[in-house]
Amino acid sequence: MPVDLDNSSTASGEASVSSSGNQTVPPKFIPKKKRNLPGMPDPDAEVISLSPKALLATNRFVCEICSKGFQRDQNLQLHRRGHNLPWKLKQRPNKEVKKKVYVCPELTCVHHEPSRALGDLTGIKKHFCRKHGEKKWKCDKCSKKYAVQSDWKAHSKICGTREYKCDCGTLFSRRDSFITHRAFCDALAEESARDQPQVIVNTNSESEPKLTTSDSPPPAPPSEAPAPPALHQSTSLMSSVFPAQNPEIPGNPPRIIDEAQTTTAVIGSCSSSTTTSSSSNGGANSSVFASLFASSTASGSLQSPQAPAFTDLIRAVSRPDQPADLTQSSSSESISLCLSTNHGSSIFGTGGQERRQYAPPPPQPTLSATALLQKAAQMGATATNGSFLRGLGIVSSLSSSGQQDNLHWSQRQVESENALAPPCLGLGLPCDGGSGLKELMMGTPSIFDPKQTTLDFLGLGMAAGGNPSGGLSALITSIGGGLDVAAAAASYGGGEFSGKDIGRSS
Amino acid sequence: MDTTLYTNYNTSTAKDNQTHSNIYKQSSNGEAAAIVTDMQSSTNSHQPPSQNNHTHTSTSLSCSTSDPGDQPPGTGKWASKLLKECARAISERDSSKIHHLLWMLNELASPYGDCDQKLASYFLQALFCKATESGQRCYKTLISVAEKSHSFDSARKLILKFQEVSPWTTFGHVASNGVILEALEGETKLHIIDISNTLCTQWPTLLEALATRNDETPHLKLTVVLTNTSIVGSVMKEVGQRMEKFARLMGVPFEFNVIRGINRLCELSKEGLGVQEDEAIAVNCIGAMRRVEVEERDAVIRMFQSLRPRIVTVVEEEADVSSTRNDFVNSFEECLRFYTIYFDMLEESFPPTSNERLMLERECSRSILRILACDGDHHEENNTSIESSGECERRERGSQWAERLKEGFATVGFSDDVVDDVKALLKRYRTGWSLVLPPPQQGGDNYHHHHDQYSSGIYLTWKEDPVVWASAWKP
Repeated sequence: MPVDLDNSSTASGEASVSSSGNQTVPPKFIPKKKRNLPGMPDPDAEVISLSPKALLATNRFVCEICSKGFQRDQNLQLHRRGHNLPWKLKQRPNKEVKKKVYVCPELTCVHHEPSRALGDLTGIKKHFCRKHGEKKWKCDKCSKKYAVQSDWKAHSKICGTREYKCDCGTLFSRRDSFITHRAFCDALAEESARDQPQVIVNTNSESEPKLTTSDSPPPAPPSEAPAPPALHQSTSLMSSVFPAQNPEIPGNPPRIIDEAQTTTAVIGSCSSSTTTSSSSNGGANSSVFASLFASSTASGSLQSPQAPAFTDLIRAVSRPDQPADLTQSSSSESISLCLSTNHGSSIFGTGGQERRQYAPPPPQPTLSATALLQKAAQMGATATNGSFLRGLGIVSSLSSSGQQDNLHWSQRQVESENALAPPCLGLGLPCDGGSGLKELMMGTPSIFDPKQTTLDFLGLGMAAGGNPSGGLSALITSIGGGLDVAAAAASYGGGEFSGKDIGRSS
Repeated sequence: MDTTLYTNYNTSTAKDNQTHSNIYKQSSNGEAAAIVTDMQSSTNSHQPPSQNNHTHTSTSLSCSTSDPGDQPPGTGKWASKLLKECARAISERDSSKIHHLLWMLNELASPYGDCDQKLASYFLQALFCKATESGQRCYKTLISVAEKSHSFDSARKLILKFQEVSPWTTFGHVASNGVILEALEGETKLHIIDISNTLCTQWPTLLEALATRNDETPHLKLTVVLTNTSIVGSVMKEVGQRMEKFARLMGVPFEFNVIRGINRLCELSKEGLGVQEDEAIAVNCIGAMRRVEVEERDAVIRMFQSLRPRIVTVVEEEADVSSTRNDFVNSFEECLRFYTIYFDMLEESFPPTSNERLMLERECSRSILRILACDGDHHEENNTSIESSGECERRERGSQWAERLKEGFATVGFSDDVVDDVKALLKRYRTGWSLVLPPPQQGGDNYHHHHDQYSSGIYLTWKEDPVVWASAWKP
């Protein structure tokens, strides 16, 4: 589902979706393992504030003899031995060594607050580079820019191997054409009489309070939060999870709500993709061509395109005052309109009369663009289709309409869903600390049920490229889990990133 | 090669009830030689009949080679030769030659054939109308047919499909968007005045870029200017809805306006466009300047100046049917050169039976007719009918546009970032496309150190031929 799996700091909405799916795929209640929200360190830890320069410096420890720099003092000490300088390796730290946490030097950053400090030096360095640094690593293939070289390398490996898929079934290997298509595709853009903003509003107000009551543990957002295992059991999690309520931390409250919307919308979104795929197969093309045909007949002269035989031309040439039958010669224009036959599969899957309606989403500058695109698909689905049962029906039809090998799976899903009582809050979190969402997003399969095939409900994920992504299955399971799991999970992910940066890097 | 084809003509004449000339291409008939040599007195192209008449589709593109002897057997460009001959005959008012050539072309041409046949078909139409002074009438018929089949769905499908398979339009979009974003960086109220004919397909990626910008998401006002004759006018309502929807989605505060009822672009004004003092203005002009009457182009540029824009982007197709507009043969040859490249590009970009390709070619046929066959009766019919019948795409070359624009603006170089974006774009299309930067103004050695910028626009080339020119300007 996440279009931009390559980037560890992709939209948190996507991240959270995968994790929620992860939780619920094994349809049994797993004891919850709690993890800390990144940036919720041990209050006893020593807070370290490094300057931007120090954070960006790659070789802070410099040899006074040869000016060679080292990332770690230990390494410099070893190096000094070569110069026959006095050197001293630190002792192995005691078990009782004081925990250190690091804050971001950027004053406006949420991680500038000691209460949101990050647990390790690498994490804060990467955070600082990604969010506040110059993006100097540029992908040759797609021009995407990265601030951290390792991000860039990871992206470069998979750039161009993935495809974007629209609800209408069209595949895109290029992000920009996908975006353009998305803006124009009926699968997204239909908006007319049956405006149902109320539905969205309701969804919101339902899911939001549930956010705060659910205690499904937060998945660690991928990038800057390799949550230190030492910080595990935080029982006051739910209260602290929502520092959003704290006005001192700008940007959080709306984001949480946004993410909630996103994810709740995901639940319904299965319907959106299928509506389109089913409708695009039949009526659309025929009607398009019918109209083409109609217009060509209207213009008259459905003769052979070669109709203006040379004799007519000759006659006309020799008698210019009596121009040849222009209607006839121009008939090639209209006739050729009939040539449209074998282009059955329209790129827009248009034409369906029972379009979904989309309520206008509020401006959400904090999401990544791709996430926003997804949301668009999801919105409409939510509007017309709140019940997960209906969504399931659509799952089946989607499977049958093209992804055959997913059919059995979705049926299995139906069964497992029956076993689950919605709202199944906090269905467990098999995501062990440390594995991190980045791995999940990258499709590391180990933690997933290996039999599980992925199903691209949104039509936004990768249709090719080989990595079964957790995000996809997450969508499916979020149907069973109901609004709450997904929404709650979303909120965790949502709390972490500055949306702008996310978008920029995605 | 030529011999063969001309000969084929003759054969089909003998069996004159036949309309599908392809059937006869393989045969040869000695009788025809007389006609061939008559018309081709300057050439010595009596080559053995070609074995593969069906393959003269896509290879040699260098239209400057007018001598068929230069071309490998079997790949000769018979359409180009015949058409040029015919244009010359028309200009010389040699009616018997016109007669013969139109007759032959009609036999060979087909809008469903290969590139040569398609070119022959559409240029024949123009030549025929020119010869019979019936261009206006024919053009109106074509336009009304096109309007009847024009819908939002078809237009959208066409334009997006084209963008998917060819960078012809996306090149200008990426270059312009890059420059606009850079020029308006940090501004909070943007106003883009869009004078183009691409159904706003340029803007989703810009909206996305704005939404993910590092600084505060700015307010964007998009004002689309439609001239009266623009065929896209009827679908702007749908386009506008989608733009507004998409902007909401992206979280970009957005206002969408359409300016209609403009007969001449130079009539536009700050007031008419709703330009506010606190807005940062960008004028985006893609394929629009060539539709302006040649005499009015400088006035349009002055109008741009009066808007006090931060940036003006101009993207045009690289051909000159402007300076030669009073010289029919030259215009014809340049027009033919340009569309030969274009048709070749279409052929290689689309699958053979693509309906979109056919629609694009039909657009070309109207444009060709308008350029070549509608000026003759310009003075005979009243002016209003001409204006209402559509804009004539009198293209100019990038260097010519640059000369005009330099009167009011200074060139803005494309930054390395934008150039990289364009290169990345081209990589994703099939081979044959490349980006050409103009030679540096101040000598080759130090230009790399100079500004990291490229002056006077950049070119998209298709198989070495520059085809689209993109440029950026500031007051």
